[in-house]
Amino acid sequence: MDASAWIQAIANGFALGWMYVLIALGLTLILSIMGILQLAHGEVYMIGAYVTYFLCVSLGVNLYASMIISMIVMGVFGVILEKFLFRPAQRQILPPIVVSLGLTLILMSFAVTQFGLKEKSIPRLAEDSIMFFFDSAVPKDRIIAVGFAVALLLLLYLFLKRTKYGQAMIASAQSPEGALLRGINPNRMSSLAMAIGCALAAAGGTLAGSILMLNPSMGTFPLMKGLVIIVLGGMGSLLGAAVGGIILGLIDGILPVAFEPGITSVAPFIIVIIILLVKPQGLFGHE
Amino acid sequence: MSRKLLIIITITAVLAAVIIILPLALNSVYWTSILVLIGINILVVSSLRTIKLLGHISLGHVGFSLIGAYGSGLLATKLGLSVWLTMFLGGLMAAVLALVLSYPFLKVKGIYFALLTLLTAETLRLITWYWKGFTGGFWGLLKIPSPGPIVIGGLTIDFNNVNSYYYLTAIIVAISLFILYRLENSHLGFKWRAIQDTDVLAQSVGINVKWHKMLNFTIACFFAGIAGALFAHFQHSLSPDANARFGVLMSIYLVVYMVVGGESKFSGPIIGTVVLSIISELARGLGEYRPMMIGAIAIVFILLIPEGLVGLPFRCKLWYRKLLRLTQRGSA
Repeated sequence: MDASAWIQAIANGFALGWMYVLIALGLTLILSIMGILQLAHGEVYMIGAYVTYFLCVSLGVNLYASMIISMIVMGVFGVILEKFLFRPAQRQILPPIVVSLGLTLILMSFAVTQFGLKEKSIPRLAEDSIMFFFDSAVPKDRIIAVGFAVALLLLLYLFLKRTKYGQAMIASAQSPEGALLRGINPNRMSSLAMAIGCALAAAGGTLAGSILMLNPSMGTFPLMKGLVIIVLGGMGSLLGAAVGGIILGLIDGILPVAFEPGITSVAPFIIVIIILLVKPQGLFGHE
Repeated sequence: MSRKLLIIITITAVLAAVIIILPLALNSVYWTSILVLIGINILVVSSLRTIKLLGHISLGHVGFSLIGAYGSGLLATKLGLSVWLTMFLGGLMAAVLALVLSYPFLKVKGIYFALLTLLTAETLRLITWYWKGFTGGFWGLLKIPSPGPIVIGGLTIDFNNVNSYYYLTAIIVAISLFILYRLENSHLGFKWRAIQDTDVLAQSVGINVKWHKMLNFTIACFFAGIAGALFAHFQHSLSPDANARFGVLMSIYLVVYMVVGGESKFSGPIIGTVVLSIISELARGLGEYRPMMIGAIAIVFILLIPEGLVGLPFRCKLWYRKLLRLTQRGSA
């Protein structure tokens, strides 16, 4: 194996990793603030991609503008979901899971009936240009996608660190009761978490849709990755989600170069088992 | 006491009679096949509920069904063993895998357990998908034989026939359900419930929590494996496709069946599976809108009638009383 193949694998891994981080951060935010495993998050990602597709291809809106509109639409959708479905089901184990499973069925069926099973694709972020890193070719659209993901995550970081609401969210994630005692409204925090989570998922769906293809079952795969990252990074840890996402992306980028696809598909699972046996709280988890 | 026993015997006899007469009355291969699948699903959902007795929700029960199905199918096709033996071995393989995995898995609780089981099922599906040489890969495992014919008193029963396979399924499912029911109402079942309520207290009164959790998970997965084996020898072919039997969607349906039926009672999963399967069959005209309907039913039930169908009479009584109180207040 020569060096350029490795560099390409690592570049691919980074590109994949940032997509995973977008999904995993949403899942982690929702998990840590609402205590809910949003299993329909992959479907939100899929619908977000289709909204962008609809705006961009059917209505002819600019790609970047459609992506931002899609994020806003899915954010509002997330708030509605939180208010009418997840809030009544909160604070137990089974009801939120069932609500998210029912939602998965509804959204997937909606996509199949409205958009059809035929694969579609969002226009690429950059046309036919390839950039070179140390003699290995990397498609430019992947680099732009990574740039977008990183920019979004920086915005989220600034929001969480520098604003009142962001700090309230962090407090709420660390200790819901403590946050409540300090006068932080948990319902508002939940809405905010769902809005941000769904908007990030929509962005992830759009970026992935411009690199890969759109189809109604595209959400399952990133959801599985997101779940692995949650365990890997520590349940409910935002930093853990970011680092875990990059690690998993690199693994997914590098392993297929060295091994068969079968082994690649088992690797995340083995990682999860090892983490559980050795450090059940994950890489960055507390408790 | 004796009156209660009489009622139970009557209900059982009527149910048995209905189950025996149904395929003869329907007289259609299509509907009998649906009944076989319903029977298999009842077994999977009931074993799912056995795990729920501990307070755990498994989203990966199809993974253990897959092990049972592929285990039994592969042993029968590659080694040519008798299907009667391989079915049991399929269940056993699922149980062994469950026993091994239960050690790390049962360290976690609640949603994390759900998450892990979901990952397990998906990983097992992907392994069968990629391991072309052994499992047939995405082409699927084909030409799985039916159970060999048996001779009872000069009468040969051939299991290539849908009706006889239906009776076989009915008998195996009935025996399995009986075992699950007895386990649940034995001292084991009470200990499992104690662990669900509070595992620390259960531990402190001398229940070996870890061992009981592992035992529970293993038993439940054994029956999931048996159900998978029944499925394999009924369909004669298996596919690891995401939209087929062993995908995430099926896991979702299983949980929905359990919840809509009601997970508090033993009869809940049975009622839920039968009712939703029949609704889904009758609504065939809706086509791709059917998953939407099932999803909506699941959400409505969990938010408004969390006890499920078995709790419906109780819910109705509550609603009736509320209504009564409202009207009284209105008239006063």
